[in-house]
Order: sequence, then C-alpha cells, then structure tokens
Amino acid sequence: MKHEVTERAGTTVVAFAGDVDLQNSPQARKVLLEAVAGEHPVLVDLSGVDYIDSSGVASLVEALQTARKRDLGFALVAVSESALRVFQLAHLDKVFTIHGTLDDAFADNR
Amino acid sequence: MGAAVEYPAPAKVVEVSDLVAHFGSRLILKGVSLDVREGEIMVIMGGSGSGKSTLLRHILGLERRTSGTIRLLGEDTSTLNARQMSDLRKKIGVAFQGGALFSSMSVGDNIMLPLHEHTDLDPTTMEIMARLKLEVVDLAGFENLMPAELSGGMTKRAAFARAIIMDPRILFCDEPSAGLDPVVASALDDLILRLRGALGMTIVVVTHEVESACKIADRMTLLDNGEVLFTGTVDEVRAHPSERIQNLLNRRAETDTIDPDEYLRRLTGEDVDGGRV
Amino acid sequence: MTAGDHGPLTRLAAGVGRRTVAAVEIFGVYGALLGGSLYWLVAGPRQRQPVRLGSVILQMMEIGVRAIPIIATMAATIGVMLAIQGIHTLKLFGAESRVVIGIALSVTREFAPLITGIIIAGRSGSALAARLGTMTINQEIDALDAMGVNPVRFLVAPALFAMIIMVPALTIFSDLVALFAAGVFVGVDLGISMAAYIDQTIEILNTDHVMHGLSKSAIFAVLIALIGVANGASVSGGAEGVGRVTTRAVVQSISAIVVTDMAFAFLVTR
Repeated sequence: MKHEVTERAGTTVVAFAGDVDLQNSPQARKVLLEAVAGEHPVLVDLSGVDYIDSSGVASLVEALQTARKRDLGFALVAVSESALRVFQLAHLDKVFTIHGTLDDAFADNR
Repeated sequence: MGAAVEYPAPAKVVEVSDLVAHFGSRLILKGVSLDVREGEIMVIMGGSGSGKSTLLRHILGLERRTSGTIRLLGEDTSTLNARQMSDLRKKIGVAFQGGALFSSMSVGDNIMLPLHEHTDLDPTTMEIMARLKLEVVDLAGFENLMPAELSGGMTKRAAFARAIIMDPRILFCDEPSAGLDPVVASALDDLILRLRGALGMTIVVVTHEVESACKIADRMTLLDNGEVLFTGTVDEVRAHPSERIQNLLNRRAETDTIDPDEYLRRLTGEDVDGGRV
Repeated sequence: MTAGDHGPLTRLAAGVGRRTVAAVEIFGVYGALLGGSLYWLVAGPRQRQPVRLGSVILQMMEIGVRAIPIIATMAATIGVMLAIQGIHTLKLFGAESRVVIGIALSVTREFAPLITGIIIAGRSGSALAARLGTMTINQEIDALDAMGVNPVRFLVAPALFAMIIMVPALTIFSDLVALFAAGVFVGVDLGISMAAYIDQTIEILNTDHVMHGLSKSAIFAVLIALIGVANGASVSGGAEGVGRVTTRAVVQSISAIVVTDMAFAFLVTR
C-alpha cells in the first residue's frame, strides 16, 4: 500500500494505492488520523485501492468519527465496486459521503 | 497477506482427493473426492452417519487421515508444518455447529480473539471491526453480552461474526440451521448468501437440511455412507435419475443398500472392537 | 470392510497391544503437554504467539489467591494436630519439649506441601479438568485450532505456569500458618513463650528442609496441571462425561501427589 497526502483548494486529499489489509491498515489509520487532526476538511481518494479489508474500513470509520467531532468535512472518493459492496453489507454507505471522482467532490462542495 | 495471487478463474480453493478416514477401525470415509471453486457456495449434504462432519473436520485439519490428499488454497495440508498450518488457518473462517464461543469471554472479546492473537491492530480498530461484523450478522449492540445470554440463533450469528472477522478467503459452516426454528434458520441462509454476495467469499456448508441446501447452494455434494454419490448444481441433483439420490433428497429410508454380511457382523457383535467406546 | 480376521487370539493380542499403547500414549500426552508449554514459553514470542502474562496472572488469582482462606484453615488445623499428637507421643518419653523439632520438620518437609497440593488438586485440578472438558465438548478447542491459535499455548501453558508459581507460594504460606498455629498450641499447653518457640524453630530449620518441601510442591503443581488438562481433553459423552473426567482428575492427581511424596522422600533420604 502506498499513500500520498496533498493539499487542494483548502482541502487535505489523502490518496491510497494498492491493497489496504491487516498488514498495513495500522499505517493507513495513522495517516488518516493525522489528516483529521489538521484544520482542513479531508477527502480520501480510494481510486487506486484494489482491495480494502475490514481493518481498513474500521480505520476509515474511526477517522470519520474523529473528523465529525472536530466539525471537519470528511468524504470518500472513487470507492471501487467491490469495496462499495463491503460498505453496503455493514450499511456504511449511509454513513459516509461518497463521491465519484475528486473533481465531483470539489464541484459538490461549491 | 502477501501478494494477491491471480487465479485463472474459477480456481479450486479446496481440493480433496481420495480421502480415506477411519475412526478407530471403523471406515468413515471411503475415498472421497471433492473440489470447491473460488467464490462458490458448496453444500456438502448427507444424513447423520454419512461422514459429512468427519469430512469437514478433515478439511479443517482437525483429524488424522488414513490416506488421500487435501489441498486448501492450493497448499497440500499434509506437507505443512505447524506454523505454516497456523498461517493458512488465518485465511479460513469456521462457524461451528454449536457456535463454539468461548464461554468465559464476552461476545465482543470472542469476535476479537483472532485479531488479538494474529494482528498488531490498534484496540480501537479491533473494536470497530468487531462492531462492524456484529452489524453484518444483525447483532449490533450485543458485544458486551456473555455467550450464555444468547439464544441459539444469536449464538450462531455471533459465531459467524467471529468466523469472518479476519475477512477469510473461505468460510466453513457446520450445520448452520441445525436446532433452529425455520424462520431463524432461513435468516441464516440469507446471511450466507449476503456474505458471499458482498465479500465474494467461498463458502462451504455442511448440512442435512435439504431445503436450506437447495436455497443456498451453487453446487452440492451428496454424501452417503462415506461415499460421494454425486456432485452438481441444485438442478442437476434434482433431475438426477438415481433412486438413491432421490431417496436422500426426499428423506426416504434406505432399505436396499444394506450389505447383508456387514449387517450380520453388526448384529452378532463381531465388529465391536472398532473405535466405539 | 473392517479388518477381516477377528479370532479370539488376535483380538486379545490387539486388546493387550491397545492397552499398552494407551499407557504409553498417556505418558506421551503428559510429555507433549509439558514440552509444548515450555516450547511456547520460549519460542512463542518469536513467532508472535506468546504465552500471555495476563492469562497466567488470571489463573494465578484463580488458583492461588482464592485458595488462601481454605489453605490457611487447613494448615492451621494440621499444625495444631501435629502439636497435639507430638506432645502426646513425646510425653511417653518425658520429652515434650522436643516437640518443636518434630513440628518444624514435619510441617515444612511433609505436611504443608501435601495439604496444599491436595487442596489445589481438589479445587483447581478439578476446575481445570472441568473447563477443558466443557471446552472440548463445545468444540471450543477445535475452534481455537481452526483459527490458528494453539490450544496448548493458549490454555495449557498459562494454567501450568500459574500452578508452578502458586503451589510453592501457597506452600510457603501454609508453612508459616501451620508453624504459627502449632506454636500457639505449644505455648498454651507447655508454657513455652512464642518468642522462644520461634527462636527454636528458626534454629532447627535450614534451607534444605524448606527447599525439600518446596521442590516437592513444584512437582505436585506440574502433576495437578497435567492430569487436569489430560483428563479434561479426553472427555467424551456430554455433560456427564465432564463430571466423570473431573472426578477422575481429582482422584488421579491426589494419588499421584501421595505416591510422588513417598518416592521423593525415599530418594532424598538415601
């Protein structure tokens, strides 16, 4: 798993690539919690993620909750079909804001 | 874990060939062969004494076999050392018949046990994962109960949650609907279908319930008297001309397959120093 | 289908063979449990499968701390019993005042380890057998195996190590309680002051005497744990079976303790 954190129009964009699984989700969690500890809303770009297991999903849930407490925006971008099914299984699609692409996300925020 | 191997679809994730197994000197499995393909729901069906539970225990590596090979996720289990076996077992989940929840631990701790034992995840992550799985099996909010406080159906659900906590490649279910009323049993069947649908998991179910088997199976293996009678889709099984198979499906008592010699031995007690207590 | 020829002789031979095999197997089981526990203690951490300290401490509480009241009561009773008997016997020789030697040696070398071992066998050996038995019947052991958690590491090792720590510790405790209780009786009966009694006792006792008792108690600990686990794991036949293996575990471990005690005394005094 690789990750990249960038700034775009006052928003922190965290992009993951590869598999998020039991081995590396602690690292993903650290990255996410650092992002939501900042001052900007956070977009998590999952377009490069092939597979995300439940430990990765759990880290996203924790980050979302932290962001909510701090009144920060937190949304997911480009969740793959297979990952979306995992989200739906646990009704998480009702909790997360999910955008199709990064550009959509920024357009929606206007 | 490791690089995800790309199998030419549909890969075989369970391969049993010519499995022969004894219990004491009693022959339980008489050369059973069986393949399970990735992503399918395979139901192993048979009556009591058919050897289906023994077959499952062998696939899980809980018994010593007489001969034959078993491959799980491509690995011949007889060639693995204890540590490799333990690694392999992290990729499979098992929901036992009675749930097999640890009675001294809360439901939540039961579900998190594999995570505690096998991962370095943060406790918060583990708790969220456990609650997510409880959501999936419709047991949200039950994590602090003790197993003794759960009903039969809830126990089985909790066992499912524990079995899938590590996102296994293969999920084994032993008699998921046994001992449950039809409504609860049918809800468990739905759960199995949902899990496969959402997670693409390969699921192997051992059962004696014909209706349940027909509802969830992609393919079925009919086991009788330690032998595979037939493996095929639900439609193929239903349309099969063999009387023995139709009897099994309609639960008619079998009368014509008794081996007179063996029956006589049984009656006269010649066979008594088998493995039975 | 089963092996054809079952003549009376072959059957008898097979029976004898099986019984021998069973006996060898039992010692094999004990060896494997002990070896397995030690293996996981040493090699577990490197395989990221450690024997958890938390589990050991939990077991230590269960085995040790909760047994303190009953062990104190029994040790005090034994101490007084030894004093009564000792004074009564020595009176025949007019040597009542020598009773302190008798008490000090028999408490530390024999009675404290023995009564502690027997109480722990009855309390915790049985509990261990019942727990393992119930877990086996509920397929909890299978579940551990199937999730890649070694049952010896997870269940047996913590109980075994907790036993090895707690039984000697409780033996020291019963040494103290029994000696003190005996001292009170001797004080009242013979008019020896507590200070004098303690002085005499300390003078008589050396490390050898105390260690003799403690080493024995450590062996008792291993016996109680292994017999409890092996019986529990061999359960068959539901709840009734659990009752059966529990009783068997207690009877076997008390017998093993008494026989070991005799053998140990014999070997050490040679």
